[in-house]
Amino acid sequence: MMEVADNVSHEPVAGRAPLVLGRPTFHSITEAVARPAESATPIMWWLLLLPSLGMLSILGVSVGWLVWEGIGVWGLNQPVGWAFDITNFVFWIGIGHAGTLISAVLFLFRQKWRTSINRAAEAMTIFAVMCALLFPGIHIGRPWLAYWMAPLPNQMGTWPGFRSPLLWDFFAVSTYGTVSALFWYVGLIPDLATMRDRAKTQARRIAYGIFALGWRGSARNWQHYEMAYLILAGLATPLVLSVHSIVSMDFAVAQLPGWHTTIFPPYFVAGAIFSGFAMVVTLMVITRKALGLEHIVTLLHFDRMARIMLTTGSIVGYAYSMEFFIAWFSQNPYEQFTFINRAFGPYWWAYWTMITCNVLSPQVFWFKKARSSMVVHFIVSIFINIGMWFERFVIIVTSLHRDFLPSSWGMFYPTMWDFGLLIGSFGLFFTMFLLFIRFLPVIAAAEVKSVLPAADPHHDAHHADDLAHEVTRVSPHLAPKGAH
Amino acid sequence: MPGFLPPFFPEGEHFGLLAEYDSPGALFHACEKVRDAGYSKWDAHSPFPIHGIEKAMGIGRSRLPYVTLVCGLTGVIGGMALQLWANGIAYPMIISGKPFFNWQPYVPITFECGILLAALSTVFGMFAFNKLPMHFHPLFGVERFEKVTDDGFFISVEAWDPKFDAAATERLLASTGATNVQLVPRRGATS
Amino acid sequence: MSAGHAVTVDPAQHSGKALGRLTGIGAVLGVIGLGASLALAGGTKQFYFSWLVAYMYFLSIALGALFFVLVHTVTRAAWGVTLRRVVENVMATLPVFALLFVPIWLGRHEIYEWMHAEAAAHNPIIQGKAAFLNEGFWFTRAIFYFVAWSVLATWFSTQSQKQDETGEERISARLRGAAPIGIVLFALTTTFATIDWMMSLEPMWYSTMIGVYFFSGAVVAILSFTLLLVHFAYAQGALRGVVTVEHLQDVAKLLFGFTIFWAYIAFSQYFLIWYANIPEETIYYMKRQVGSWQSAGMMLALGHFLVPFFFLMPRAVKRQSALLIVMAIWQLLMHFLDLHWCIMPNLHPEGMKLGLTDVAAFAAVGGIFLAALGWVSSRRALVPLRDPRLPESLSFENV
Repeated sequence: MMEVADNVSHEPVAGRAPLVLGRPTFHSITEAVARPAESATPIMWWLLLLPSLGMLSILGVSVGWLVWEGIGVWGLNQPVGWAFDITNFVFWIGIGHAGTLISAVLFLFRQKWRTSINRAAEAMTIFAVMCALLFPGIHIGRPWLAYWMAPLPNQMGTWPGFRSPLLWDFFAVSTYGTVSALFWYVGLIPDLATMRDRAKTQARRIAYGIFALGWRGSARNWQHYEMAYLILAGLATPLVLSVHSIVSMDFAVAQLPGWHTTIFPPYFVAGAIFSGFAMVVTLMVITRKALGLEHIVTLLHFDRMARIMLTTGSIVGYAYSMEFFIAWFSQNPYEQFTFINRAFGPYWWAYWTMITCNVLSPQVFWFKKARSSMVVHFIVSIFINIGMWFERFVIIVTSLHRDFLPSSWGMFYPTMWDFGLLIGSFGLFFTMFLLFIRFLPVIAAAEVKSVLPAADPHHDAHHADDLAHEVTRVSPHLAPKGAH
Repeated sequence: MPGFLPPFFPEGEHFGLLAEYDSPGALFHACEKVRDAGYSKWDAHSPFPIHGIEKAMGIGRSRLPYVTLVCGLTGVIGGMALQLWANGIAYPMIISGKPFFNWQPYVPITFECGILLAALSTVFGMFAFNKLPMHFHPLFGVERFEKVTDDGFFISVEAWDPKFDAAATERLLASTGATNVQLVPRRGATS
Repeated sequence: MSAGHAVTVDPAQHSGKALGRLTGIGAVLGVIGLGASLALAGGTKQFYFSWLVAYMYFLSIALGALFFVLVHTVTRAAWGVTLRRVVENVMATLPVFALLFVPIWLGRHEIYEWMHAEAAAHNPIIQGKAAFLNEGFWFTRAIFYFVAWSVLATWFSTQSQKQDETGEERISARLRGAAPIGIVLFALTTTFATIDWMMSLEPMWYSTMIGVYFFSGAVVAILSFTLLLVHFAYAQGALRGVVTVEHLQDVAKLLFGFTIFWAYIAFSQYFLIWYANIPEETIYYMKRQVGSWQSAGMMLALGHFLVPFFFLMPRAVKRQSALLIVMAIWQLLMHFLDLHWCIMPNLHPEGMKLGLTDVAAFAAVGGIFLAALGWVSSRRALVPLRDPRLPESLSFENV
C-alpha cells in the first residue's frame, strides 16, 4: 500500500507535520468528503451490506425467539446467571467510549489530528451504544416491563431501586447515548449545510437542509457553536469516565472474588478506550481506502492511535498485575483461587486468549514499522477486540462459575442463541455504519479545514508555499504521485 | 425560534449588502475595518470558525456556560432529591442492610442527571442563542452564498443598521479587499 | 498559533539563580525543623510517623514532577516547554529522597507492625505475606525505587540541560524515545512504594487502587507547587513574559481536571468498599470515622474537591495570579490533610492530633527538599533555552 506522501517517517521536532497530505485547499477537502455520499453506490458497499443485513436478521430472529421462549434458550444457569449477555453489553459500551474520547478528550487536549476521525468515531459510538442497550433490555426476562426501570409514578406506588448498579447503568447509558447523539449531531450541522448547498436534487436539498437547521456559517453563530462544543467536550469527558466506571460497578460492588476490586473503575475505562480505538482502527483502515480518503486519514493518525492503544493496553496490563498481586497479597483464599482458576481452570483458554490479545499483541506498536503498516493495524486491532471480549467473558464467567462454595460450582456452555445475539449485534453495528458512510459525510470537513495552516487568518500565502514544499522535503524518497 | 416561518426582520426593500473574500486573512482584516467603522448589525460568514474573529468583530464571549451551570446544578440537586425521596420516604425498603437515607449509592445517578440536563441545556441553549433553526434566511437567496459552506468567506451588513447607506457601505466593503459586493433582496428563496 | 516568533529568552534574566534563594531558606528551615522534631519527639513513634507523612508529601510532589516531565515529553507537547525546566528541577530532587528515607529506615520497627516477629507469629495472614513483606525484600525494593527514580530524574534533567548548550534536536528525539519506558517504571515503582510505605501500615488491609490514589494526589500537588514556584520566580524577576498567563491557565485547567480525577479515584475506592461492606476492607474507613477523623474526612471531600471544583471553573479565575496562588496553597494544604488522614489513624486511632512534631517534621523534610531544589535549579537556566519547541511555547495563546 504505497502512500502518496508521508507525514510520519520524519516528523519535525519543531513545528508539526501536516495533517492533510498533498496540497489541500478548502475546496479539495469539501470534495473529498462529500463525494462518497453524492456518487452512485459502489458495488463494494452492497457486498458489505448484504452480509451485514444477514447478520442483522439473525439478530431479529434471536431476539424474537428469546422474547417468545424466555432466557432459558441461553446457556445461563445457577451459578452462572450472566454470561454472553452482559459480556456483550460491556463490550459494546466499551467500544463506544473511543468515539467520545476522540471527540471530547482529544479536543480538550488540543490534538488537531482528531478532526480526521472524530465524525466516524462518534457515529461508531452511537451505533455501539445502540448495540449495547439491546442486551440489558432483553436479558431482564420480561423485556416488555423494561419501563419499570424509569422513575415513573405508577398505581403500585413503587419506585426503582436507585441503590442498584443496574439502575445506575440505565441512567448512565441512556445519558451517554443522548449526549453522544447530541454531540455527533451538533458536529454534523455545518457539514450537513455543506451537503445541502451541494445538493443536485430538490429531495436531497430538503433532506439535508432540514437537519442543517439553516446553518449559514455566521461568525456570531460559530461563536455560540464553539462554546457549546467546548462545553459538551467538557461534559462528555467526565461522562465517559463515569459511564464505564458505573458499568464496572455492576461487578465491583458485589462481594464476589474477581469482581470486587477497587481498581475496576479506571481499569474498565482504560479497557474501553483500548477496545474502542481498536474498533475505530478496524473501521478506518477499510473506510479510508474504500472512500479514497487516505490523504486525510493519514499514517500520522494511525501512528497516534497506535500510541493510544499501547498506552491504554499498558494500563489494562497494569490493572491485571495489580489484581493478581493484591489477590495473592490479601491472603484471601477465595481471591487466590479465583486467579488460579482463571489461568488454569476449565476456561484457561479464554484467559490466555485474553492475555495474548490484550497484553502481547499491542506490543508490536513499539515499533515504528508496525505503526505505519495498515495490515498490522488491521490484524492487531481485531486481535485486541477479540481479547477485550474475552476479558469481559473471563471476568464474568470465571468468577461466577466457581465462587465460595464448591458445591455451588457449575459450568457455562453457550447455546446457538447466545452466538446468534453476538453475531447479530455485529450485524446491527455494521449495517448502521454502512448506512452512515453511504449518506453522511464521514469526516468532519469543517473541522479539518479549520486545522489546515491556511485557516489561520495570520498565515500568509508565502508561508503556504513553504509548507507545501516541506511535504516533499521531509520525505524526498517518496515523490508525490500527481498533484491534488 | 420557529425556523419554518420567515424570520422577522424589520421592513425594507433590501436585506443588506453581501461582500465576498477569498481567504480567512482577508475576511479577518475586513472585519476589523467594519467593526472600526461602527457597524453593529452585521456578520461574517465562513465554512469553519476563524480563530480570533470575535475580537476582530468586537463581540464578546458567549454566555452559554451560565445556562449550562444552572441547569447542571438543577440536575444534580433534582437527581439526588428524587432518589432520597423515592427510596427513603415514598417506599423505603431494606436493601442489603443499607440505611434508608444515604448519599453514597445515589452519587452515580445524581452525577448522570446533572450531566444530562447540562448537555441538553447546552445544545438547546445554543440553538436558542443562534436562533436556529432558521431555514429561510434571505442570504440563501444569493447563489454565490452557497460557497460559504465550501470555501467562501463573506461579510453581510444588514440594511437596518443605523450606519447603513447603500452607497457608502458598499464603498467601505469594496475598500476592505472584497472580491465581490452585491445587494441582497428582502425575502430569501426557499430551497 | 504561528511559529517563527522572534522572541529571544535572555539567559541572564531567566537564570536558575532566581530559585537559588530557596537553597538558603530551605537549609535554615530544614535544620530548625530537624532540631525541633528531634527535640520534641526524637526516637518516638510520633517522630517517625510525622516524618513519614512529611516524606510521602514531598515525595509525591517530586514524583508528580517526574510524571509531568515524562508525559510532556512523550506527548510531544509544546505549550509547557517554557515551564518544563521548573518542573524538571523539582524532579531532579528525587535522589535526595534516598537520604530523607533514613529516619524511616531507622524507625521502621516503630512504624510497621508487620516487621515485628510477634505480630507475624500469631497471624497466619501476615505469615502468608512474608514472601513479600519481609524486611530484606522491603529494603531491597526501596533501593530499587531510589535507583530507578534517581536514574530517570538525573538522565532526563541532564539531557535537557545539555540541550541548552548544544541545541541538538536529537536530544528531544532521544528523550521522547525513552519517556515511555520511564512511564512504565514510574507506574510500577510509585505503586509499590505506596504499597510498601503506606498500605503496609495496615498489613491486613489491601486495595488495588492504592497506587492510583497516591498518583492522583501527587499530580494535584505538583501542579499546585508549580504555580507557586513560577510566581516565586516572578518575584525574583525571572520568567515574566516567558511563562505567561496562557501557560498558567493551562496549568490551572490541568489542576481542575486532576482535582476531579483525585475525587473520582478517592470516591471509587471508598464507595466500592462501603457498598460491599466486607469487614476485612471496611476496617480502613471505619478507623477513619472515629472522632475527629470523621470531620477530617468530610473536610477532605469538601476542601480537596468541591471548593477547588467551583473555584477553578471560571475561565477568568484561571488567568488571575492572586487567585491561582490562593488555590495552589489551598490544594497543597488539602494534600497534606489527605496524606495525614491516610497515615496517622495508625498512630492516633482516637482522633486527629495535629501537633508541633508534625509541623517540625514537615519543616525538616520540606526544608531539605527546598534546599535541594534551590541547589539543582541554580546550576542551569530556568528555561530550556534551546528546546526546538520553545518558540511555539513562547507564542502560545489559549483560544
